[in-house]
Amino acid sequence: MIPKSIKWRLQIWYGLILVVVLTGFGFTAYQLERGRLLGRIDDELHRRVGILANVFHPPPPRGPDENGQPFGRPSPGQFPDDGPPGQDPRPPFEFHLPPDAAGLFGTNDPNDFYFILEGRNGNELARSDNVPQSEVDFQHRFNARKQISNLDNLPAPRASLNFQDNRGIFERLPSGETIYVGCSVLPESRELKMTKLKLAGFGGIILLFGFAGGWWFVSRALRPIENISAAAVKISAGDLSQRINVAEAESELGKLASVLNSTFARLDAAFAQQKQFASDAAHELRTPISVMLTQAQTALNRERTAPEYRETLEACQRAAQRMRKLISALLELARLDAGQEQMKRLRFDFSRTVADGVELVKPLAEERGVKIFTELSPLEITGDAERLAQVATNLLTNAIQYNKPEGEVRVTLASQGDLAVLTVSDTGPGIPAEDLPRVFERFYRGDKSRTGGNAGLGLAISKALVEAHGGAIEVSSKENAGTTFTVRLPC
Amino acid sequence: MRILIVEDEPDLLRSLAQALREEGYAVDTANNGEDGLFNAEGCDYDAIVLDVMLPKMDGWEILKRLRKTKKTPVLMLTARDQSRDRVRGLDTGADDYVVKPFDLSELFARLRALIRRSANKTTNVIEIGNVKIDTAARHVLLKEKPVELTAREYSLVEFLALHRGEVVTRTQLYEHLFDENESSLSNLLDVHVSNIRKKLGAEFIATRRGHGYCIE
Repeated sequence: MIPKSIKWRLQIWYGLILVVVLTGFGFTAYQLERGRLLGRIDDELHRRVGILANVFHPPPPRGPDENGQPFGRPSPGQFPDDGPPGQDPRPPFEFHLPPDAAGLFGTNDPNDFYFILEGRNGNELARSDNVPQSEVDFQHRFNARKQISNLDNLPAPRASLNFQDNRGIFERLPSGETIYVGCSVLPESRELKMTKLKLAGFGGIILLFGFAGGWWFVSRALRPIENISAAAVKISAGDLSQRINVAEAESELGKLASVLNSTFARLDAAFAQQKQFASDAAHELRTPISVMLTQAQTALNRERTAPEYRETLEACQRAAQRMRKLISALLELARLDAGQEQMKRLRFDFSRTVADGVELVKPLAEERGVKIFTELSPLEITGDAERLAQVATNLLTNAIQYNKPEGEVRVTLASQGDLAVLTVSDTGPGIPAEDLPRVFERFYRGDKSRTGGNAGLGLAISKALVEAHGGAIEVSSKENAGTTFTVRLPC
Repeated sequence: MRILIVEDEPDLLRSLAQALREEGYAVDTANNGEDGLFNAEGCDYDAIVLDVMLPKMDGWEILKRLRKTKKTPVLMLTARDQSRDRVRGLDTGADDYVVKPFDLSELFARLRALIRRSANKTTNVIEIGNVKIDTAARHVLLKEKPVELTAREYSLVEFLALHRGEVVTRTQLYEHLFDENESSLSNLLDVHVSNIRKKLGAEFIATRRGHGYCIE
């Protein structure tokens, strides 16, 4: 069962690696230590065996067992008097360590070195006083003898003998006797046990520290993810103002957080814009609805004459028309925003479209005493004639409406490289510099009132239409001198 | 009661003015900020209905300037309904706030409440002797029986009742009961007063010769 959390998975992985490394290391260290200790003992044993071999002088040979039969069960016929050692009729063999060698073996301490000397046929000739009493002892000696018999062809065959907590060496002398030197390895095995415990303890502590450090490190490394998810949760709950706290901008997660933050910021801005748009749209609808409500409620307060009702209905109609205009403008913008509005791609003479637009607005211009001057060179472009006519008419209407009385409107159309450039200039009061960047915003209105029933969507729609044609629209204005709108369209 | 409406939407302005006149108010109108401020500063209105979005000068600016000289109750009329707009309106010195679109009846109720509060009255009913004036229903009871008054007569009674104990001059009465479009014939007021005395009793309105009228 693998946990789902990245933290735990990482933790398990490097925990495993740490355990493998520590085990390998501990095992090696243990083996080295063990080899060192046992090697030291073996060296001592060998030294002692060598010394014993030098100082030992075998008893004089005795009759027929001269044949060098090393050990084993003597055949009764061959060695009739070779019974148990105690029954040797000859005086017992006396072996005394020379004084310089006596110090090498203990007297009573079972942990010190000890030796056993065996005759050719396995009978014990001598032993030091501290040989441990153990049944196994004999069994092992027997095994070792057997083992050493296979090495008979060597000049001084030696074999090692390990049993219980003892370690020893067997050597067969050329004369046929066997020297066994051993010692207890109890202190060494205790030491090794301690070493084992120490290694395990060290390993455990390192593992613990490793885990704790790893936990800390992984938590630290994953904290940005927690921050990110916490912020994302808040954002998904609707609080778009939330941002991720980016502490380490350089790390991969820090970069991710920055990217997410800028995404959130753009989302926030888009939502705010949408909200503003919706609120502006609602705002624009409130006034005509107020008119209709007030008109209707006033009229219904008492009996009215027919002309009074007529007046009320006309006011309601004006309000409704205004709402209709607003709603269709809003719908058009929404469709343009969504890219649903398909622009026709036909060749047509743009100058004729503009000229038609001028004809269309002439009555309005005359009403206000505004003169229109045109300078249109025939120019074919590809696009949606109807939509571009809408742009031209909108710019012309604005130029007339925001002109001074008896003002002028100049319209020019010319080609500039592979662009068609349409300019519409008026001689109106101009747009204040601080308002210029906002004129294409939805619901922007120069005079903050609703004279003329304009909602302030015309320029926004014009901009969207021009951009849908791959063109650009811009505005320049001088206060008290007039405003010029320039539309550039690809031919 | 004389009211000023400042509103730039002509249809709304016209119907509001008509409805308020039919309620018995004297109504002046202005369709832009500058005229609105000029009117508001030049005359003691009982209340002002002020739109926020206005050409030439917006409602906030009018309110700010007006508050330097006058305490006229102001009811803001606006399409903005976010609470920060309301807070701003009330903090700038507006006395009440109505969001478009509104119901006429609600607007009237709020105007009455504004006028009542500015006269330091807390209830709709003013009792003077055996005469009861219900400013919400806009009718007058004499000994618990309804009395037929014209709108102008009612306004006159209400104005004097709201200023009970004070001597109200003829000029004041003209200012508050007649709007700028009406030619104020000097004896029109006397006609109204004598009609009221016929209906509510001769002693109801006292004449302070050379000063004006008074309800004790």
